[in-house]
Amino acid sequence: MSNLLFTQPFFKKNGRAVAIYFLVAIIFWFVFLVIIPQLYMLDLSFRSNVPPLARGGPRDFYTFEHYQHFVFGSKSSIDAFNFVALGVFGRTIIVSIFVTIANLAFCYPIAFYIAKIANPSTARLLIVSLIIPFWINELLRSFALRILFANEGVINNVLTGIGIIDQGILFITYDVGLYTGLIYAYILLMMFPLYNAIESLDVNQIEAAKDLGSSTIRTHWRIVIPHAKPGIVSGCTMVFMLTVGALATPVVLSSPNTLWFPQLIYQWFNMNDNWSRGAAYSIILLVVSVIFVLTMMKLFRVRIGEIAR
Amino acid sequence: MKPSHTINFMIGLYIVIFFTYLFGPLLIMSVTAFNSAEFPAITPWECFSFRWFSEGKIAYDGQHLAGLLSDRRLHDGLVSSLIIGTGVVLLAVPIGMAAAIVLTQVRSQLRDVYYSISIMPVLFPGVIIGISTVVLWDRIAGLGGEGLVAEFGRNGIFLTILAQTCFISTYCFLIFVARLQRFDQTQEEAALDLGATQTQVFFKILVPYLMPAIASAAVIAFLASFENYNTTVFSILSDQTLTTVIASKVRLGISPALSALALSIIALTIIAAVTYEVLRRREEKRYVASQEKFVKEEAADSRVDKDYKAGFRIPKGIVAVILLIILCSYGATQIVKNDLYGQSCIDAADKIKRAKFFDQLQTLESNQLTDEELQGGDLGGNQDYGDIFGDPNLFKDFGGFD
Repeated sequence: MSNLLFTQPFFKKNGRAVAIYFLVAIIFWFVFLVIIPQLYMLDLSFRSNVPPLARGGPRDFYTFEHYQHFVFGSKSSIDAFNFVALGVFGRTIIVSIFVTIANLAFCYPIAFYIAKIANPSTARLLIVSLIIPFWINELLRSFALRILFANEGVINNVLTGIGIIDQGILFITYDVGLYTGLIYAYILLMMFPLYNAIESLDVNQIEAAKDLGSSTIRTHWRIVIPHAKPGIVSGCTMVFMLTVGALATPVVLSSPNTLWFPQLIYQWFNMNDNWSRGAAYSIILLVVSVIFVLTMMKLFRVRIGEIAR
Repeated sequence: MKPSHTINFMIGLYIVIFFTYLFGPLLIMSVTAFNSAEFPAITPWECFSFRWFSEGKIAYDGQHLAGLLSDRRLHDGLVSSLIIGTGVVLLAVPIGMAAAIVLTQVRSQLRDVYYSISIMPVLFPGVIIGISTVVLWDRIAGLGGEGLVAEFGRNGIFLTILAQTCFISTYCFLIFVARLQRFDQTQEEAALDLGATQTQVFFKILVPYLMPAIASAAVIAFLASFENYNTTVFSILSDQTLTTVIASKVRLGISPALSALALSIIALTIIAAVTYEVLRRREEKRYVASQEKFVKEEAADSRVDKDYKAGFRIPKGIVAVILLIILCSYGATQIVKNDLYGQSCIDAADKIKRAKFFDQLQTLESNQLTDEELQGGDLGGNQDYGDIFGDPNLFKDFGGFD
């Protein structure tokens, strides 16, 4: 058993006390914190919604009703499909894709500049100043954007003050604030994988391409981007998953009449007290986003082991 | 690589825009913390004041707007955030360290699978981690009756520590993996050859080598825990942490007290970052110096032994500091000159607002409907609703808003 898993006998290699500490820590983490909670959530998502006291009784049975509800809506509704939930879900996925692409487009020039063009002291200064905003609470960062974009906010006041517009633009209502905030929220997680990947590229390769007469765009397309592919995929994966699951930014910045999918989960869970349905919606979110990411990896031929390296 | 001037200019411009996007909102938010108006804004600048950092204000219409120091909920939230952060550090750092060390011992065929499982929690949406933890512990608490287990299972702080540890362990894991990649295995072998036991090797060689990683993992874990919202909002149950308090405040309406809070956090962050950077550079310098000394001793060669005296150089950062000081002093004099600071300014602003408020009140009063108009009329008067609003006993048991 031990030989199957490890390169050397585990207990002999580490000494008994330390080996026990390793095993306890890892099993506690993998099994107790990661796997079992997910399994229980999966189980709950197939159960009918009953109050705690009725659990195990006749009304507590396995059912697909929550998943059906996600697709077809409640039985009393006249619509063929649950347009609210499906709409929110589709919008969340599509906006997240665009946020990811925007992040990649914004970060690539900066990452390339820091990694290959800037001199070391400038590069270090830029990296430190990149990190500082991201040590600040996500909620407070969104709040900063809220101050800018509110109807009586700084941008509207300045614009009307100068006289460019007569009436405030409804940034929050049209979700401009939300999209800006989502791009803002996780941009660092795109920056660092990209930077690390580009940094490891040998400058001589770029110079060689230049000497052989390749244009700047072609050099990037044929040399830099293929080399940085693991970094790009890992940044995109992280940004996409975090954006899909974002709750803090939408809470602060989304307009009152639109919802982000995790907000919908939150509503079923905390306000409507239907834990089973909240769990079912969470499972849907998890499965769909994981499948999406895996498909993308397959398309771009990147293995999961390369992520976050 | 020598890009042309236009390209250089474009890159420079782009970087400036990018960093404006990063820092602009934070700067503007910081400035709004000093405006005495009730709504965080810059342009209708009322007075320069520190009220949002201290006790807040009681508005002209009797509404109490708490400042930083006087806000009880914020303080309670802060305390539980600190407790949770400490708990998470104590759990996540050892877990991450164990997982990273074991990664180096797992067979190469299994390594990808093991690595994938380890980084999975970061990719899970935080919402889901929070929910699954709550669901599991609700079930556990339901099984155990009314014992200690049930007590723990329904304790928001305990659940939050577990839920956050689930994914923060991965952050720690990644930090340890990066450090272990540069670990020299021969050190261990040397110690073993000299007769050390495996346990001694772990405590005398590996742990000291990992010390910097332990420190940065602890810092990162604490910060990640402190600022987490997505997971915490589910797992905290009926308690409150700093972030959930902030979220509920933001949802109720934005107030400059939040700007003040953000500014305090930003200031602490920058101080921490600068300290960390200074310490790191000092460490690096010491390392370089020791290397140089080593080379000199080894070479014993006059060519290497050239002690060049560093001339006195003015650090570039000083320009920025001087600019900042000039700007601040200019701003301060302007504020004092225009009477924008202090009690007199605030009183004046309040007076104007109070006057406006009473004007509005009077307009309302002059528009007041008569009793008869309220009771009847075509617009759905009280009688149309069976006179429920006239019944004085109806709301007797209603506790009222708190």
